[in-house]
Amino acid sequence: MSKRWAIAGVGALSSVGRTAEEMFDNLCAGRTGLRTLRGFTAEWYTAQHLHEIDDLDAYPDVEGRATRFLLDAIGQALADAGMPQDLAGVPVLIGTGLRELRSVELWARGQTKPDERRLHFGTALRERFGADDTHTFSNACSASLYALSLAVDLLDSGEHDTVVVAGTDSITESMFGVLDRLQSVPPERLRPFDVNRKGTILGEGASAIVLRREPAESGRVRGWLRGVAINCDAFHATAPEPGSIAEVIRSAHSAAAVRPDQVDLVLLHGTGTMANDTGEATAMAEVFGTEVKHPVMTAMKSMTGHTSGASGLHSLIMALTSIAQDRVSPTLHLEDQIPVAADFRIATREHLGEGPVVAQVNGFGFGGVNAVAIVEGTR
Amino acid sequence: MTAVQERAEQDGSGQDGVRQVVVTGVGFALPGVDEPGDVERGRDAAADAVDPAAHLGKKGLRYKDHATRLALVAAKDALVRSGLWDETNGLAVDPRDVAVLASSNLGNLDSVAEVAALIGREGGTRLVSPIATPNLSSNVVCADIAIRFGLRGPNMMVCNGATSGLDALRWAATWLRSGRARHALVVGVEPDNDVSRAFAGGQVLDGAVAVVVERDDSTAGRTVLGELGPVTRSGRLDQSVTAAGGTDDASRVWLVPEGDGMSSVVLPEAERVDVSRGWGRTSGAHGLLQIAVGTARLATGTSSVVATCGGPADDAIASVVLRAPRSEPCQA
Repeated sequence: MSKRWAIAGVGALSSVGRTAEEMFDNLCAGRTGLRTLRGFTAEWYTAQHLHEIDDLDAYPDVEGRATRFLLDAIGQALADAGMPQDLAGVPVLIGTGLRELRSVELWARGQTKPDERRLHFGTALRERFGADDTHTFSNACSASLYALSLAVDLLDSGEHDTVVVAGTDSITESMFGVLDRLQSVPPERLRPFDVNRKGTILGEGASAIVLRREPAESGRVRGWLRGVAINCDAFHATAPEPGSIAEVIRSAHSAAAVRPDQVDLVLLHGTGTMANDTGEATAMAEVFGTEVKHPVMTAMKSMTGHTSGASGLHSLIMALTSIAQDRVSPTLHLEDQIPVAADFRIATREHLGEGPVVAQVNGFGFGGVNAVAIVEGTR
Repeated sequence: MTAVQERAEQDGSGQDGVRQVVVTGVGFALPGVDEPGDVERGRDAAADAVDPAAHLGKKGLRYKDHATRLALVAAKDALVRSGLWDETNGLAVDPRDVAVLASSNLGNLDSVAEVAALIGREGGTRLVSPIATPNLSSNVVCADIAIRFGLRGPNMMVCNGATSGLDALRWAATWLRSGRARHALVVGVEPDNDVSRAFAGGQVLDGAVAVVVERDDSTAGRTVLGELGPVTRSGRLDQSVTAAGGTDDASRVWLVPEGDGMSSVVLPEAERVDVSRGWGRTSGAHGLLQIAVGTARLATGTSSVVATCGGPADDAIASVVLRAPRSEPCQA
């Protein structure tokens, strides 16, 4: 077997739940986080729904929400790993699509003061956890899986034995606004891989894991990371390139020493846009060949919305929970699979008893930044 | 693990048998700066603003934000100077082996703030241009560099505050050591505009600096300008400098954090140089500007320079030592 790294603890929150467990239960029950938007002025927009986090006290519009989500997720992951809430000397690698740009927007509207030290997350992490080796990577929608690859490199080099990896995003009004303009008929629901999909709907949240070179003394692990691969299309600012995606999937398989027929579960990136779903399915079909019918697949964004930088680790945590509980959450609103994904076994209702062990997690972002992780679960 | 232990472990074991990460090129998009030695003079009021079209041609620049244009100019300059790129043949190495990292804090703030303000003013999105979409994601700079030069290795945008430039170098070195890349282009950029200026509280660099780093087994005869030690990060200044090896040998030049606001002096004998002097806020570009200036100091006979970013008011302090290249071993 290839090398593997212990996932000692997990933490997550999103519009479908405030903890990883609550999220998973709601996903399995098919409960979406899509609700009438509240963070922004509804009458300015055609779209009226978002997958916002239900932090009622925070509306309308307060700064620092992405930071708050992040602190919450990391706190959960540390508790889950049985670690103290102290991260002095422990690298904390954070992937984000939009960092604290929502706070910048509130400043631009004259509602808050500028704070350069809180555009990134290190300042808050130092205050809360005493962390001093913190890194904010603003790498679009594959950001948390990109951060995960660096964590592996750090553990592998022998420089550290524990690394915290996280992702976080809150919805920015500029991104929502430009999507609203682009999607002149707003999608009513996010329908990954459906022929009638109309585009993506934004979500928000945070995800965090504690990754260790060896399990802690208690021996308890949430699962194992087998490998991560990353690359860049160098092709187009927003459109994905299937050839490059296929390449990164193959690299991930090779890093994890697994063959397509050994992958039991796939957490698809599945954003519900025309470009992503076609590109992703094309690449998956190419790499898996006849084995594409083997793994059960699901795309959780149908319920969480697109959680951007947090989404890769969200999927990874849900994959581990799936394996642990032998339950796979459904992909909602999928009625007619796109032709290129016709043979994919995408779960449209909760699947029980599949007995998955190895899962693949896809994450692709603006600018063609691709990342794929392979994990192994425990039951 | 403390930063000191970290260093000891790093010295003892390199992944993949890599001994060194070396600097083989620097490039600029700064008015009046052609060579690394020009940076310390500060902004030349008489120099013309950088004209991206003059360096890159007009094609493809129209909808790029200001930071991206500056970054592309510096990136090209560094790629050409390192010998990784020439106009006729393009890239000299496998594009999958070239990583791109960019560091910026104020980068796309103008695009984000303008769209948000426009929606508020108009009470709707009618006037928002979809062309702006990529510019609303902070990694636009990094992705555009990859697209322009066809660089298909790992690609990552670092937005990490005062230490961001040196942090980006650390991750470049991490990828080189782990074998995810053989060559890395690391670009620091901070644009000056109404938004960045108001947010940062003063004039901003309005330029970019790029550094090419490579594994020492992958330089294929390209000239080595300096050898990069480990980048260390700590909450304490003395610990950061010591862990980086800054106190090991008599470093004569200390490239200090932006604004040189340090009260504690850990290298009392060293000449203190603030590369932001005369430029305005350097922010995420500061660390890369330090490396560029460092190569100029090494070229004029200094044996090593220490660079430090971040201060007591920031989330941490990062340091690195840049040493003069050792003379080539005699090979038959």
